[in-house]
Amino acid sequence: MTATTAATRPSIRATRSGVRALLLLFKARAVVVLVALLIFFSSLAPAFSTSNNFQILTKHVAIAAILAIGMTFVVLTGGIDLSVGSVAGLAGMLVGYLLTQGIEAGGSRHFLPVTLCVLVAIAISLLVGLLNGWLVSKAGVAPFIATLGTLYVARGTALLISNGKTFPNLGGDPAHGNTGFPALGQTFFFGMPMPVWIMLVLFAGAVVIARKTPLGRHIYAVGGNERAARLAGIRVPLVKLFTYVFAALCAALVGLIIASQLEAAHPATGDSFELNAIAAVVLGGTSLMGGRGSVTGSLLGACVIGVLSDGLVMLGVSQFWQMVIKGAVIILAVAIDHLQTSIQARFLPILLRTDNGAGE
Amino acid sequence: MIHPTRIWCTRAAVLLALSFSACHRPDTSKKLIVVIVPSQDNPFFKAEADAAAVRAVSLGYRVRVDAHDDDAYRQDILIDAAIASNAAAIILDNAGADSSVAAVRRATRAGIPCFLIDRAINATGIAKAQIIADNHQGSIIVAEDFVEALGPSGGSYVELLGRESDTNAQVRTSGFHSVLDRHPDLLRVASQSANWSQAEAFQKTETILQAHQDIKGIISGNDTMALGALAAVKSSGRSRIVISGFDGSPDAVASIRAGELRATALQPAVLISRLAVDETDDYLRTGSTHKLEQQTIPCDLVTRQNADDFRDFEKVR
Repeated sequence: MTATTAATRPSIRATRSGVRALLLLFKARAVVVLVALLIFFSSLAPAFSTSNNFQILTKHVAIAAILAIGMTFVVLTGGIDLSVGSVAGLAGMLVGYLLTQGIEAGGSRHFLPVTLCVLVAIAISLLVGLLNGWLVSKAGVAPFIATLGTLYVARGTALLISNGKTFPNLGGDPAHGNTGFPALGQTFFFGMPMPVWIMLVLFAGAVVIARKTPLGRHIYAVGGNERAARLAGIRVPLVKLFTYVFAALCAALVGLIIASQLEAAHPATGDSFELNAIAAVVLGGTSLMGGRGSVTGSLLGACVIGVLSDGLVMLGVSQFWQMVIKGAVIILAVAIDHLQTSIQARFLPILLRTDNGAGE
Repeated sequence: MIHPTRIWCTRAAVLLALSFSACHRPDTSKKLIVVIVPSQDNPFFKAEADAAAVRAVSLGYRVRVDAHDDDAYRQDILIDAAIASNAAAIILDNAGADSSVAAVRRATRAGIPCFLIDRAINATGIAKAQIIADNHQGSIIVAEDFVEALGPSGGSYVELLGRESDTNAQVRTSGFHSVLDRHPDLLRVASQSANWSQAEAFQKTETILQAHQDIKGIISGNDTMALGALAAVKSSGRSRIVISGFDGSPDAVASIRAGELRATALQPAVLISRLAVDETDDYLRTGSTHKLEQQTIPCDLVTRQNADDFRDFEKVR
């Protein structure tokens, strides 16, 4: 008997530390994958690990990350926002219209200053977020359907604004006093591209909201158990409204950044961006059921997607393989997520046992 | 699910047609011509659809414009709708050389003649006409000009491909290579598909420019991607990179005029649409188009010297 107990104790201890290490590895999977990808691409493509390329890479990641940060809160409440890609397209077209066509008033055309153009475009895009939030929280429409509807409405509106055309030359006209829009996507600030700063500000804001404010705790509570949250006195509709408006804000910023980088606004911009954002959020470990996940995870997820696509382009991998590989990475990430949950459940007794209690 | 592009495009085209017929209710005594194009958020297809609609209305027809978004199934539904609305003829920019054969045959059997524009199908004797821009010839003139621009010493270049499942993407890249591969001094250091998209071409070119410091030229399967590449080259601060496109879109022609893009091949979309409507009219009156079924219309090379001669997919001078 004594021999068996003596043999069991270290083995339990070993299992426990093994399981803990495995769980830690799984939890940090986005970091592990990211580091692995960075090493992989740096070793195969010499230009990958140059500071110039990291600047470009962060700029590409920023676009995916801004959308993913916005999407995170929506997913945390158990919702989904399919309209973000269309909202990005709409915001770009709105600013394109205001910069190149101006507003007609009193028989003549007036051109607004750039800042005002940007603010008006954001404000109108936020209306889509408000509509999403209202449909989901007040009208009781399922998030998937409500935002699928606004996806089409926003895209159709973007097409209507120009009748399907591209607005070129968003550099503005000195005669109209509205130059300077390209600065939003093209300037550098302390050595980092402006889009990266925008992303960092949104990220910091979202982390503070999630961790330090009652609103953040309410978001998790609504996603964890909506009924319980409501009974606890949380104003569920307001919380949901916030998440959709925030997602629309992030989407609008992405649309403006892209329009500014290209100095042109195309109504199809942002097509299928929502799927990239959802993929980044899921890669970052946020549960589509709501209540579990983090903004930091989504940022890491966006980094994985951005690094993967840029690295594959650098290696000259064909478009078809890029799609296959991206899909495989997403499936793998979700499979690991599932594995983590089941291992955690299965080894919970061992993990909870203290050393003193073991074998007695 | 009906794609909103289609609804809005249809509505816009109907409005256009109505404004030309100066009448606010469709006049059912007039024969209906249905124009089906891939999409209208692309200036090329829009110009093509508008040109066909305007010509048909001026010849005394009613017009309906639909867009199939490069989806052969949606195209099928639109063809069925045209049959159901008793159209006199269909003018079609199809959704795939093989996947469109059955739909064209069905319309023809239902007594509706089909006139194909811009893209051919892999079957003859079904459509009354197949009028296409010569993509092969167009890509050769662009590539020859590209070689000349890079100079006798050659150098490294990048190729941006269109959507790889698209016939035109394949025809254009093979046309480019029939010229470029004859020059041993030219080295293709990267080739990526940017799916005809400006934003995608921008991102991919930025990354490629990082991987290869010595790029002298970028040749692109269409103008939209060429403009995306141009934005990336500008933002990288590099200059003297030769960028050529294909299509002859108004934005690209403006950029060529400004000395930014090097050249493009203008597809005579407006001319093709007009020819198709004229042949439709001829066929409906006389029972014959008096032309061969397969007609290829050569593309024009647009460079800084002649950029003023072109406007909205049309040679105006």
